[in-house]
Amino acid sequence: MSILFTGRATGAAAKKIGLLRRFIMFWLNHIRQAIASLGELWRTPSASVLTIAVLGVSLTLPATLHLLVKNMQQISSSFTQAAEISLYIREQTADNQVQSLVAILRADPEIAQVIFVSKQEAMAEFQQISGFGAALNYLSTNPLPDLIRVLPKNTALEAAGRLLQRLSDERVVEFAKLDIDWLTRLNAIVGMLQQAVLIIALLLLSAVLLIVGNTIRLSIMNKKDEIEVMKLVGATDAFIQRPFLYTGVWFGVFGGLLAFLVVEAMLWWLQSAISNVTALYQSDFSLQAMNFNEFLSLLLIAILLGLTGSYLSVRRHISVIEPTGP
Amino acid sequence: MLQFDQVSKSYPGGFVALDRISFRLEKGEMAFLTGHSGAGKSTLLKLISLIERPTAGRVLINDIELSRIKRSQIPYVRRDVGIIFQNHRLLMNHTVFDNVALPLVIEGFTGKEMVKRVHAALDKVGLLDKVRCLPATLSGGEQQRVGIARAVVNKPPLLLADEPTGNLDPDLSKDTMRVFEAFNQVGVSVLVATHDLGLVARMKYRTLTLKHGRMINDGLLQYQEPL
Repeated sequence: MSILFTGRATGAAAKKIGLLRRFIMFWLNHIRQAIASLGELWRTPSASVLTIAVLGVSLTLPATLHLLVKNMQQISSSFTQAAEISLYIREQTADNQVQSLVAILRADPEIAQVIFVSKQEAMAEFQQISGFGAALNYLSTNPLPDLIRVLPKNTALEAAGRLLQRLSDERVVEFAKLDIDWLTRLNAIVGMLQQAVLIIALLLLSAVLLIVGNTIRLSIMNKKDEIEVMKLVGATDAFIQRPFLYTGVWFGVFGGLLAFLVVEAMLWWLQSAISNVTALYQSDFSLQAMNFNEFLSLLLIAILLGLTGSYLSVRRHISVIEPTGP
Repeated sequence: MLQFDQVSKSYPGGFVALDRISFRLEKGEMAFLTGHSGAGKSTLLKLISLIERPTAGRVLINDIELSRIKRSQIPYVRRDVGIIFQNHRLLMNHTVFDNVALPLVIEGFTGKEMVKRVHAALDKVGLLDKVRCLPATLSGGEQQRVGIARAVVNKPPLLLADEPTGNLDPDLSKDTMRVFEAFNQVGVSVLVATHDLGLVARMKYRTLTLKHGRMINDGLLQYQEPL
């Protein structure tokens, strides 16, 4: 395109080429420039490695925190029994009334499991566990009530609370009890952790943005002369900034990969220590590593941050550089 | 092709670099621009290549006023004007080929077409055998000629040169001027700024002489033997 000389065909436009071919050339050019930027990084290894290391470490922390929250959620979800509702049956309720309630509850779509514990079973269990043993035989009557243990399908707090309300309205139920306090606390702690992780992640990710921005700024300053020459022979800002954007993308790719490797190494390191702890608690807890989707998101976030950081830097600094004279 | 119409340029602080300059360079014409350093030669070239804007008056290329050119359009204007710099401004860590190819890459050339044009441009300045060299390994004259090849590789209709013979010996200077003449003969308008008055006088082309920002002579320069 020529502004001054109409009809002067310049550049690639001078040659008539097909749309498909132009499309292919477009991508070919981009790939070529991406590889050229990679070569540029390769030529200054010490500076590039330092920047990538800083990015990797900055990305490792949010990734680790994410895994921590994920494993916490796994633990808390293994405590679904915490949301068990205990229904204490009134004295002098006929057995068939209790049995029909059990049958109704079993058919209830909101309930996952119903366990009936008769007062005799309860007494036997109590004798076994409490250690009073024979002393309990001196009781003239069994003071324990019948008990129905209900496991709601939805263990979320509000849903379990609603179910509790509904079940305590049953006629034969003396009162219903749900260990809500415990659940509330656990949920609050997990929620708080999630918030903290979010804030820390945001801080560290903005640090990544600033690091990339500053590194790109320095490399623009280093190439000031080259940029001036390019502007003098008619390069647009878009053309000049493209290699820098690719550099940012590469920083993201390598920083993300490094963060992934560090997290994996850390998990491997911690594995035996954690299994010691969980063995003491007789839990079947197994450490959750990063899955493929999380790996991809980590990489994508890293690349986006690299691109954004370099874009912000390039926008500010490339247009400022103007050739001062022939 | 190129027209200056009552152009003045003053810098902050009141220094007047150009004072009501008017001239016209026709299509396919070659001219010299002379004067002592500080006379305004560089400023005049800067106005054409849109590095600076005039304080008053109009600069026109091909009857298009440069003041109408928006900032985002400047790169496209510069592609139509080949510029040769006194300190040749090559990219020192790129090969001769890369340097000459730069304007073509910017315009989106690739592959064989680009190679063909770069080789043609280097052939014209006689440096085809140095394609793979780094500029640092070339002599001053050769570096200058690489700069010329880069300026003409995309065949601009207008060629500007700022002291192209500034640090060359007389023989090399003459050769360089012959290269410009050759381009002029194929229809390119050429404007060469130089203070080498002897060379200018021998070449017998139209000469614009600047002194303290004013045009004091427009025409052939009489050769004076140095005392």
